Amino acid sequence: MFDLVAKHKRILQVVLALTVVPFAFFGLESYTRSVGGAQDVATIDGAAITSREYADELRRQQDRLREVLGRGADVAALDTPELRLAILESMIAQRLVVMEVVRSRLVLSKEDVVASILATPEFQEGGKFSSERYMTYLRSRGMSDEGNVSRLRVEMPGGRLAGAISGSAFQPRAVVERLIALQTEKREVAEAFIGADQYLGRVKLDDARIKAYYDANLAEFKVPERVRAEYLVLSAEELGRSETATDAELKEAFDRQAGQLGVAEQRRASHILVATKAEAEKITAEARKAPQRFAELAKKHSQDPGSADKGGDLGMNAKGALAAQSLEDVIFSLKSGEISDPVQTEFGFHVLRVTAVQAGKSASFEELKKGLAAEIAKQKGATKFTQIADAFNNLVYEQSDSLKPAAERYKLKLAQSAWIARAPSPEQGLLGHPKLLGALFSPESIQQRRNTDAMEVAPGVLVAARVAEHQAETQRPLEQVRGEVERRLALREAAALAHKEGAEKLALLAKGGDAGLKWSAPRTVSRVDAQGMPAPALRKVMMTDAATLPAHAGVEAGDQGYAIYRVSKVIAGESKALAPGSEGLAMLDRQVGGEQVEAYIASLRARAKIEINRGNLEKK
Amino acid sequence: MAYDLEEQEQLAAVKGWWHDNGTRVLALVAAVVIGLSGWQYWRLWQGNQAQQAGAQYELLLKAAQAGDAKVLRDAGGTLVESFPGTLYASMGALVAARFHVERADPKNAKTQLQWVTDRSPSEELRDLARLRLAAVLMDEKALDEALALLETKHAAAFDAQYAALKGDILVAKNKAADAKVAYRLALEKTDEKSAAFRSSVQLRLDALGG
Repeated sequence: MFDLVAKHKRILQVVLALTVVPFAFFGLESYTRSVGGAQDVATIDGAAITSREYADELRRQQDRLREVLGRGADVAALDTPELRLAILESMIAQRLVVMEVVRSRLVLSKEDVVASILATPEFQEGGKFSSERYMTYLRSRGMSDEGNVSRLRVEMPGGRLAGAISGSAFQPRAVVERLIALQTEKREVAEAFIGADQYLGRVKLDDARIKAYYDANLAEFKVPERVRAEYLVLSAEELGRSETATDAELKEAFDRQAGQLGVAEQRRASHILVATKAEAEKITAEARKAPQRFAELAKKHSQDPGSADKGGDLGMNAKGALAAQSLEDVIFSLKSGEISDPVQTEFGFHVLRVTAVQAGKSASFEELKKGLAAEIAKQKGATKFTQIADAFNNLVYEQSDSLKPAAERYKLKLAQSAWIARAPSPEQGLLGHPKLLGALFSPESIQQRRNTDAMEVAPGVLVAARVAEHQAETQRPLEQVRGEVERRLALREAAALAHKEGAEKLALLAKGGDAGLKWSAPRTVSRVDAQGMPAPALRKVMMTDAATLPAHAGVEAGDQGYAIYRVSKVIAGESKALAPGSEGLAMLDRQVGGEQVEAYIASLRARAKIEINRGNLEKK
Repeated sequence: MAYDLEEQEQLAAVKGWWHDNGTRVLALVAAVVIGLSGWQYWRLWQGNQAQQAGAQYELLLKAAQAGDAKVLRDAGGTLVESFPGTLYASMGALVAARFHVERADPKNAKTQLQWVTDRSPSEELRDLARLRLAAVLMDEKALDEALALLETKHAAAFDAQYAALKGDILVAKNKAADAKVAYRLALEKTDEKSAAFRSSVQLRLDALGG
């Protein structure tokens, strides 16, 4: 009954074969069409950035931050919602480009990616691919080879696409010229300053206004919540101070290090290299008869081109410097001036003579003793610290209503702090650690007066603290801060008077009047050369219409007063084209390139449906 | 093997059904399989096209870096003629355009950018090429033509770039008031993150008196 199948077997086989091979291509779809789930941080047109992927990227970025900021930096403190969002945004941007790559079928074949990995200079050693280097790279990024290849299949063309856009951007040359002209335009400017202080005498303050200012700025007259803490410091350094080194330990450390600390014995030797043993023996006999002729013999017979001309001299060497171990052994067994029996090496037969011996100098025990003792004590302190750190921590935690038991057990001094606020500041010393302060100001510490956990505020330094006294945030009464309010208010009023006066004088100057101002000596400024002028003032001076000179500009200088500027001369900027290929032009084009890639991604983004799951994003 | 009566009946029914419909079923299966294979083949072919186009693009990129105009033209020609539907053709044309701009050859730069504007499968790249075409036209002093081009509808993400260039062209036309409006729009359409772009546009706006 299956005649049909039998009849058409051939055709069916071919058809089946055709379908099987290209099924491999289905795999790519998974990159863009993963199933959304509760664990996702974001989805882009249905494709997810999972919590796991996000966590990996976050860790990579934090590692990078740590590298930039240095080891001690508290990267966890930088883990803000804003930073998290920024990292997600960059992941979304990358994903959008990758999706465009898939949509436009720019995905590279496995073979192409492998070929480019093989050709990457980073993975090469001596001009050849080193799988060891490649593996190290994979391990450092926590990736499998397969994962890396499939990632690169889309990321490499993604980079190509973004690179094509940014690398081909350019600023119109006319705009480049204009920008340069604007940057280099110079203006000669004099300044007249109307200081606020000269108006202080004219300010009249009454109680109502003082009260009004106080009421409006209550927040500025508060004493923040603060505590006085008692605390224990367990430090490896301190523990080391009470440790001493025994004579046996000192001796052992000395023996271990003496070799590195002293100066090794060095010997100068000459040699004569010949091809046969008979020849060597003949020369040995001759040299022993007249040792002073050794150099002469070397010049005449030695087949070592490097040393023959120098009378066979091999120079002054310590053990380990010569390539041939067997030669070295002989050299270090001869007496000075003595001539060896022939020594065979792969090069031939050598006759050796030691010409000088410089005895090694070993460092003396007495010299090193002090340093070694300190070193040993330090190590012992560090060991002891690791041994007791956990127990210390437990004791502080278990007997959480007092630090005294821990102080007694570990013979630590119970220290008292001054009043400290929650915001970290240098004068808080060891307590000024953000995490410790956080614990100290937590309800457990303040209401229940429990010990904080012992926290490692620096490598090898544990601190446990508790609140001794607590003071809630208080409002300072007006009577207490009246002087401060008056001072601030007077300054502000005086500045307002100065601003008003300045504006009036500026108006007068604009009409061509004489404002009776005292002008400073003029200086020449440009947008790239401020000559010490504050940025807002410089901007105002440069943007003032200078069609008729002198032109004037006024700038309020906060509580200081009011500054009036007189532009007396304008020197047009150089309107010259930048040479093609010049660094300045390349920089401007790069900037435009960056902007255009951003716009490109923003446009991809506008077309995609993006959902961000804030809850998952901020989960730690 | 022996069948009881009932089984024999069922077997007969199945045979009968197969006799009536077997050909149709097999034809259907064959059609599905052929369809799938065709589709897979089509994808394979496309992948192959993309791969070849990618190689040509690499060639063009290297030529641009090495300053080799002949190889650049040849690879660009192959991309445009043999693989016009791939993104690589557009990318190649953009790179070639910049190459010509650098060598003060606006005519060839315009040809490349015009091609992307007309033929690229990517809406974004079309918008981008149009913007750059207007920039070349500006340098050629074809200001009205450039302005008209910038009036073309484009994706909102490019608003700021289009507006800034419009401001530049209006300055060149001595229309300071209109230029200010354009620059202000450019500032309005960018967010605080694009600091370099903003300060550059602000500088050009300040120069007109703010």
